[in-house]
Amino acid sequence: MTETSSSAVSARYTGLKGPLFRLAIVNGFLTILTLGIYRFWAKTRVRKFIWSSVDLGGDRPEYTGTGLEKFLGFLVAVVVLAVYLGLIQILLFYFGLHFVFEPQTEAEIVMQGAVFYISLFAVLPLILFARYRSRRYLMARTRFLGIRFGMEKNAWGYVWRALAHGALTVATLGILLPRQTFWLEKYKTDRTWYGDQPFVQGGKWTGLYRAMRHLFIGAAILFAAAPAIAIVMTMQGKSGESAATVAVPVALVGGLWAVFGYLYYRVHSFRYLTAHKSLVGDMAFRAEPRTGRIIGIYLIGALLVGAIVAVAFAFAFGVAGATIASAGSSGAAPGILGVVVIALVYLGILTLAGALILVFIVQPVFAHIVGTLTIFNPGALAEVRQRAYDAGADAEGFADALDVGGAI
Amino acid sequence: MTGAAAPSGPVAATYLDGVSAARQAVTIEPTGDLRTLTITLADGSVVLWPFDRLREITGGSDRARLTLALSAAEDDETGRDAARLVVTDPAAVAWFRQKVTTLDTRDIRAGTGRRVALWLGGAVAAIVLMLFVILPAMADYMAAHLPMEAETALGATVMKQVAAMAGDGSGRDLVCRNPQGLAALARLQDRLAAGAGIDQPISLSVFDSEMVNAFAAPGGQVVIFRGLLDEATSADEVAGVLAHEIGHVAARDPTRIALRSAGSAGILALILGDVSGGTTIALAGEYLLTNSYTREAEAAADGFALGLLASTGISSAGMADFFEKIAKDTDSMPEMMSSHPLSLARAQAARIHAAGQGPTEPALTDADWQALKAICN
Repeated sequence: MTETSSSAVSARYTGLKGPLFRLAIVNGFLTILTLGIYRFWAKTRVRKFIWSSVDLGGDRPEYTGTGLEKFLGFLVAVVVLAVYLGLIQILLFYFGLHFVFEPQTEAEIVMQGAVFYISLFAVLPLILFARYRSRRYLMARTRFLGIRFGMEKNAWGYVWRALAHGALTVATLGILLPRQTFWLEKYKTDRTWYGDQPFVQGGKWTGLYRAMRHLFIGAAILFAAAPAIAIVMTMQGKSGESAATVAVPVALVGGLWAVFGYLYYRVHSFRYLTAHKSLVGDMAFRAEPRTGRIIGIYLIGALLVGAIVAVAFAFAFGVAGATIASAGSSGAAPGILGVVVIALVYLGILTLAGALILVFIVQPVFAHIVGTLTIFNPGALAEVRQRAYDAGADAEGFADALDVGGAI
Repeated sequence: MTGAAAPSGPVAATYLDGVSAARQAVTIEPTGDLRTLTITLADGSVVLWPFDRLREITGGSDRARLTLALSAAEDDETGRDAARLVVTDPAAVAWFRQKVTTLDTRDIRAGTGRRVALWLGGAVAAIVLMLFVILPAMADYMAAHLPMEAETALGATVMKQVAAMAGDGSGRDLVCRNPQGLAALARLQDRLAAGAGIDQPISLSVFDSEMVNAFAAPGGQVVIFRGLLDEATSADEVAGVLAHEIGHVAARDPTRIALRSAGSAGILALILGDVSGGTTIALAGEYLLTNSYTREAEAAADGFALGLLASTGISSAGMADFFEKIAKDTDSMPEMMSSHPLSLARAQAARIHAAGQGPTEPALTDADWQALKAICN
C-alpha cells in the first residue's frame, strides 16, 4: 500500500489474454500427455498467473501452492473415496435388491430407483467437506505483503450447517435462501485470518432480501401465470389452444426473469457480504460488480468460444475424416485407428474450449470483480504479524476427486 | 562487460520481512565480489542476502516485476524464507535475470522422490485391493446369500433391459413361442438341467433378434437369440453354448458381476477426475475392468460346459464347431479388450475334450432340431 495516498486503494486486474491462453493450451496438452496427472501443476500455474495479476495499490498477492502437494493430496482422497464409495454402492445395491422385489407399480419403480441412486446423497456431505477444505487450502496458500492468509480447521462444522440450511431452504421453497447464504458465509469468513488478524462478517441475514427482489418477481410471474390464465380461460370460454398462446410466452418471461434474478442475487449478495466484512479495526471493503456486465461477459464469451470451437471442430473433422479414409483404402485396420484419431480430436477440442473459456469468460469476470474492489484504511495492515504454516491437509484432493470447486 | 550493466549505486526496492505486513522502502546493492546483496533498510540497518541462495518467485504474469526470496530449509510448501524483495527498476531487473544464474534453481527437498513413490504405490495398492479383492469377495458372499426372489426380480429387470436393447424399438414381445419349438427347447432344457446338478432352476427362452449371441441373467434365466440358431448347423452346437451359459448360472456369475460393477462403478471416474476427456478415458477403463472380471468367469463357464456335456453324453465337437465359426468375427479384437477369451483357443479346448469323449448322442432328434430352428416362426 502506498502510505502517502488517501486512506483507500482501488484494486486493478492486469492479466492479459495472450499469455493466459498460451499457458492454458500448454497446460492442456501436458495434461493429455500425462493422462491427467499434470492437471495439479496446471491449476497451480494458472493460479500463480491470476493471483499475481491482481494489483492492490502496487502490491500483489502471491500464490504459493504446489502441484506436488495437490497430487499427493489427491492420492489420499482417492483411496478414502474409493473405499467409501465402493462399500456404500455395493451395500446399497445389495439391500436395494432385498427391499424391492419385482416392481409392480410406478411408486415401486421410483422407490427402486431411489435406493439405487441414494449413493449420490452419500456423497453430498463429502462434497460440502471438500468445499470448505479447498477454501482453507486456497487461503493457506495465498500471501499478501509476505503474510499468509489462513482458515481454521472446521470442515465438519460447515458440513452439518450447510446440510441443515440447505434442507431449510428447500423446505421453504427458497424463501430462506438469504439465511443460508449469510450464515454459511459468516461461518467461513469468521474462521478466515490474515496473518494474526481475523476477518469478521458483519451485517444481518435479512439484509440480503433486497438482493432477492428479481428472483421474487420471476417466481411471482411463474406462479401467477397459471391461475390467471385459468381465470381468463373460464371467463372468456377460450379454448385450450389459445390459452397456450398466452401461457407459453408468460412462462418464458417468468423463467428468464428468474434466471436473471438468481444471477442478480449472486452478485448483490456478494456485494452486501463484502461491504460488511472487516479486518483489523476500521479496515473495510467494497466490491460492486454489476449483474448486467457479468451476463454480458458470459454471452459474448459463449458466442466467441462457440464460434472458435465450431470452426476448429469442422477443420479437425475434415482432417480426421481424410486420415481415416486414406488409412482405410491402404488396407490398415480403420477401426482402431479411427477410434484413436477421434479420441485425440475430441481431447484437443476440449483443451481448446477449456483454454478459451478461461480467457474469454473466467478471467474477464474475475477482472471485472477485482476492478470494482476498494479497500479502505489499508494502513492498518502494518500492524498485522505472520501466522504459522498450515500443512493444508489434502490440498484440495477431495475437491478434485469429487469435481467440486470454482473455475480456477 | 556485455549485456545488462551492473546498476551503479544503490537501487530502490521494496522489502517485506515476512514477519509483519508493513512494506519497507529499501535500497539494494551487490557487494563488490558479487556474492552478497546488501539490503539497507530505512532505519539504516542492513540485511545481507547471499547470491547463491537468491531465488525468483516464478509464475507471475508481470515479467517487469522481480520478486526475490531466499532459499531456506523451511518446513513449509515453498522451501523459501518468508521475506520478499520486490524489484521494479528495469535495469536492476534485467541485471538480476542475466547475472544471477541461481534465480530459477528448483530446490527439491531431499526424499521427495521416495515420498512420491511411497504414496503413489500405497494408493495404487489400495485401489487394486479394493477393485480386485475386496469388492469381488463381497460380491461373491452377497451373491451366495441373496434370496432367490430377489435374484429372480433382478433377473426380470435385466431381461427387460436386454429386450429393450435387442428390440427394434416397437416394444413388441421378443420371446419366441412356436409350440413345437417350445417343446423341443423344453426337452433340451430337461436334458441339460438334469446333468447340471445345481439347485437353481434353469429357464431357457429364445429372443427373436438377429444377434448371434446368448446370455445368462440372474435367477437362472438363459436366453438364446434367433441369430445364433440360424448360424448353428446342429443341435450340439446350441447345446454347447447353452452348457456354457448354464455354467454362468451355476457360478451365479450374472449376480456376482452385477454386484461387483455396482461397487466399482465410478471409482475409475473418480481417479481420472476433472481432466479434459477424463470421462472418456474412465469409460474405456471401466469397459476393460468389467471385461477382465468376465474373462475369468468365461473360462470357468467353459470348463463347466465341457463337464456338463460329458455327463449328458453330448459331443463337445459341436461347441468346437461353433467357436471356430464365430472366431473370424470375434478374434479381430485383442483379448484384453474383449469380454471373452479368444474363440479359436476355446474351440481347440473343446475339440481336445471331444476326442476323449466316449459314445455320445445328438442333443436333439432331427425333428426336434428343425422345430427349434423354427421357434420364432
